[in-house]
Amino acid sequence: MRVTPGMTADNAVYNLQQGRSALDALQEQVSSGSMVNRPSDDPLTTRQLLDLQNQISAGDQYSSNITKGNLLLSVTNTALSGMSDIMQQVKKIAGDMVSGSTDQATVNGAISNLAALKSQLVDLGNTQVGNQYVFAGFKNSPPFDTTLAPVAGIPAPTPPAQPVSTVSGAFSGTSDLLNVEINQGGSKVATTVDGGNLLRGTTPPAVDILSGIDTLIKAIFNNDKAGIAAGITSMKDGAGQVTAAQSDVAGRLIRLSNMQTMIASNQNTLKSIYGDKQNVDYAKAGVELSQQTTAFNAALSTTAKISQLSLLDYMK
Amino acid sequence: MSIINLFDIASSGVTAQRQAMEVTGENIANVNTPGYSRQEVVMENRPVTTSSGFALGSGVAIQTVRRSYDGMLQQQIVDGNSTYQQSLARQSALEQIEPSFNELASDGLGKALDNFFGAWQDLSTNPQGTAERQALLSRSQILTDTFHQVSNSLASVAKSANDNLVGITADVTDNARNLALVNTQIIATQAVGGNPNELLDQRDLLLQKISEKVGITTTLQADGSATVKLKGGEELVSGTKYATLYTSADAAVPSANEIRLSGLGNPPAKAAGDLDISTTVGGTVGGVPNSLGKLGGTLAVRDTIVKDYRDKLDEIASQLVSTVNAQHRAGYGIDGTTGNNFFDPAGTTSATISSASLVAAKIAAGTGSNTGDNLNALKLAAIQNKTDIAFSTGGASFDGFYNSLVSTVGIETQGAQQVTAQGTAFLKQLNTLRSSNSGVSLDEELVNLTKYQRAFQGSAKVISAATDMLDIVMGLVR
Repeated sequence: MRVTPGMTADNAVYNLQQGRSALDALQEQVSSGSMVNRPSDDPLTTRQLLDLQNQISAGDQYSSNITKGNLLLSVTNTALSGMSDIMQQVKKIAGDMVSGSTDQATVNGAISNLAALKSQLVDLGNTQVGNQYVFAGFKNSPPFDTTLAPVAGIPAPTPPAQPVSTVSGAFSGTSDLLNVEINQGGSKVATTVDGGNLLRGTTPPAVDILSGIDTLIKAIFNNDKAGIAAGITSMKDGAGQVTAAQSDVAGRLIRLSNMQTMIASNQNTLKSIYGDKQNVDYAKAGVELSQQTTAFNAALSTTAKISQLSLLDYMK
Repeated sequence: MSIINLFDIASSGVTAQRQAMEVTGENIANVNTPGYSRQEVVMENRPVTTSSGFALGSGVAIQTVRRSYDGMLQQQIVDGNSTYQQSLARQSALEQIEPSFNELASDGLGKALDNFFGAWQDLSTNPQGTAERQALLSRSQILTDTFHQVSNSLASVAKSANDNLVGITADVTDNARNLALVNTQIIATQAVGGNPNELLDQRDLLLQKISEKVGITTTLQADGSATVKLKGGEELVSGTKYATLYTSADAAVPSANEIRLSGLGNPPAKAAGDLDISTTVGGTVGGVPNSLGKLGGTLAVRDTIVKDYRDKLDEIASQLVSTVNAQHRAGYGIDGTTGNNFFDPAGTTSATISSASLVAAKIAAGTGSNTGDNLNALKLAAIQNKTDIAFSTGGASFDGFYNSLVSTVGIETQGAQQVTAQGTAFLKQLNTLRSSNSGVSLDEELVNLTKYQRAFQGSAKVISAATDMLDIVMGLVR
């Protein structure tokens, strides 16, 4: 084939261009640290990387949901522990009074203690995190009424003596549970407890603890031993009800913690797959870069030499 | 045979060698001229006489100055140019589009969608939270902004393609006019028996230039002129006449340029009834794809590539608006209202999608009027994982559909880059072959120069010898 200097020049330009663009691509990989810098670098890997990114960000979202659920459930758990303690005290006071008493001071003491404990239960029932009430279902207001109401069945005293009153504890929340999604496929965990059923026994056989306390107060006031005994039984059931709620919440907390661990390990796996596909192997890139540099140097050097050659240099 | 004959022979040598040196000089001068084909002198000996009793030529004459030329190669270069320029136009447009879809390097629409549904998840954990509601509103604002931004960048690529058509068609017309002029000169030169080598080079170069812009079929006539037809059979240049290729804005909003071709003439006149050939230069001819040259590539960018991407984006926007709105209307805001749209139902394209300007209290997190209800927020958040959204390509999730769009952009960009790279290599090879055949080699010309110079010296020496001889003969008489 006949070769002209123009062909040599064109070839040199073309090949230098190829060398430079190869160098440029390697340099981009090394400086960005990513194998795939734009979809056209590797469309199929891009698709996989984007799917991985979606899964990772979904994991982050579920992880954040779990953290929030954890907060709500931990607060619920604390409130339930408080309630459980109160139920112990209620049972103790009732137990102390089981054989009845005619000593007015003892009776008054027991009654005011029980009234105070009932109001504490109601306060705990109104526990909130931020502006969320953990026992109110879907309502966004204190679920238990804290206004004082006279205990029914106790005759009104003559003024100036105060009537025997306890907080009303009327439940205005709903029985719904606030579910939070903790994983794909609609896996949800309830972060609240149905306060109506817990303290008011809205769904039998659950016990209405709050009116139970009122009934107990009435029995103690009337020195009704059978009533007190019945009240003690009812309070035991109530305490059991609170404990059951506690263990339910504890179980959900464990589920959250397990799910968090699972998501974390999942995230690690996903990120390592992502890394395998996307992160530059610097050793490999370095070696390639050095090879490419050598080749490019050689191309530059030969181009410089060849393009100088001309018969003109040898003719007089 | 007399001494005078010697003068004749030698002077024919001097003349021929001098002319050969002229041709060599012309070659050297045009070593870097695009489209120039090297020329060779073909010498022949002059008629033989037998005046001395034996046959001897009467000197040398230049039979012709031959142009080194391969018509087949020229045709391949013309076709190669058309394909190469078409993919180059697509590549450069796709490379402008690609960054808008580059989720790998920056957060784009995919991330905005993720964040939008994430905000619904956040709201589901605290359905009455003001902060969560505000966050959701700003996430949806970012989402609609991102839709607009991608849509705008696609629109601007389409617009610049549309604007480019004006220049491209003007360029074709310009070259067609030049070709008609060259045709005229070739015909005139041939008519007087001349050898229009350089004009033929110009003709071929013009054909190459036209083929870069639009796909053509060329026929060379016996008179040396070139007839150029577009692939659809419409005549662009015929003999000394040419047609005007021009754009004319159609009535659509925003208006698109139609490609029109006037009738032949010199100069040709545009007429209202000129053919609209947009569908043949950028579409198909007889069922065969005919998107060729820069014109074909640019039309493909405007009418196919950008349009397809916008259609897909619009589909995402429209499905998002309808799916989210349907679920949102079913829920209740904390102000107790229901049946509210989350997105403006009128905006169902990527360019027009907009939120319905809801106040935070109207965001429907619940399925009832209770303010702590999160059931609807959960359902809205779950839309992200629904894999049966009815897209034109079948049921898919929003993420899935968008991700495959990104990968489609990647595949098409990569494809255009590869075709362009192959086109570059192919053209380079063709040009190398052309150079090998027609290119000027300085070394060769220098050798030729020396060869002709020496021959010139030789012939001159013969004249000098003949002069001496004549002197001697004259001296005899004295």
